[in-house]
Amino acid sequence: MAGASMKDIKLRIRSVESTMQITKAMQLVASSKLRGARARMEASKPYMKIARTAVWDMALHNTGAQSDYVIPREISQRCYIVIAGDRGLAGSYNANMFKRIEWDSRDANCCVIPIGRKAIEYYSRGRMPIITSVEKVEGLSLEACGDIAKRVLESYDNGEYDEIVLAYSSFVSVLLQKTKLKPLLPLDARDAPERTGRQMLCEPGADALLKTFLPQYLAGLIYSAACDSFASEQAARRVAMDSATKNAGDMIEDLSLRYNRARQSSITQELTEIVAGAEH
Amino acid sequence: MAMIHLTIVTPEGKFFDDDAQRVMVRTTGGDVAILPHHIDYAAALTELGQARVTEVDGRVRQGEVQGGLLHVSNDNVQVITNHFRWMDA
Repeated sequence: MAGASMKDIKLRIRSVESTMQITKAMQLVASSKLRGARARMEASKPYMKIARTAVWDMALHNTGAQSDYVIPREISQRCYIVIAGDRGLAGSYNANMFKRIEWDSRDANCCVIPIGRKAIEYYSRGRMPIITSVEKVEGLSLEACGDIAKRVLESYDNGEYDEIVLAYSSFVSVLLQKTKLKPLLPLDARDAPERTGRQMLCEPGADALLKTFLPQYLAGLIYSAACDSFASEQAARRVAMDSATKNAGDMIEDLSLRYNRARQSSITQELTEIVAGAEH
Repeated sequence: MAMIHLTIVTPEGKFFDDDAQRVMVRTTGGDVAILPHHIDYAAALTELGQARVTEVDGRVRQGEVQGGLLHVSNDNVQVITNHFRWMDA
């Protein structure tokens, strides 16, 4: 009895050990990827800030006459661009995103452009119609973002969608990532910088200029959101794998203790048997 | 001497963020040079064009610009583009 249980415990220790090796490796991979992802995320920030100011300068140009892209429409059809993870095992990173969107999407007909394999898997189960999708968040190119931007802009111009929302995770720190829903179109008035009241010369006109620049701007937004999300995913995975590794360590400690106790009791039993035999 | 503050920025990062004497870029309406005290201005850049930057010390650098926007506001000149590459680098 004691022998069998010793063997069982040994087997369990071994399996926990190999799990621990995997979680440890995943944690290391995530932290090294996180470093690169954070650098890319930081690099994309100045562009967003400068481009946003420029877009608003154009959108609000001509006192009184606002661009069509600023005026909110009555929403009956909304399109989400959802940036989730490429892989699982990142704590609640993916689930949080999907829950947030489910909650947000109650009031309108919605369709979705998933980016990242986990998002595609989730939405291909028929939750929302998929317009188009991108398989990988990691290393998402500016060109791919440009394609999506052009496509949604076209549909927005046709009146197919009344609102386009970008859903991504914002990296606050390694321990904290926030899911964010950012309206792309109509342009989010909360982003608007203070008006300087200065007159600006636009070539060609402000509207035409905005039309040519908007696809690039949206592509930039999607790109920087993808960088942000990827950094968040790696951070979430790093933390999840760190605690998994710690848990595995605790478990091994516990099992070793049980193993040693079982070993000791089997030795004691054997000794008792020998002593009992000698006394006869 | 009056200077402009030039920023060249792409989603992949900043390529220039410093004072300069002059910058020349190709817009859809033709080549445009921006000098200090320029009126606030915005123009679309051509799909493929060059930027010539005259730095503070008079050195001229050239770069490749892929589309985007030229934005001038109060002597802050911004070249907002998809891709940028210094040709002398």
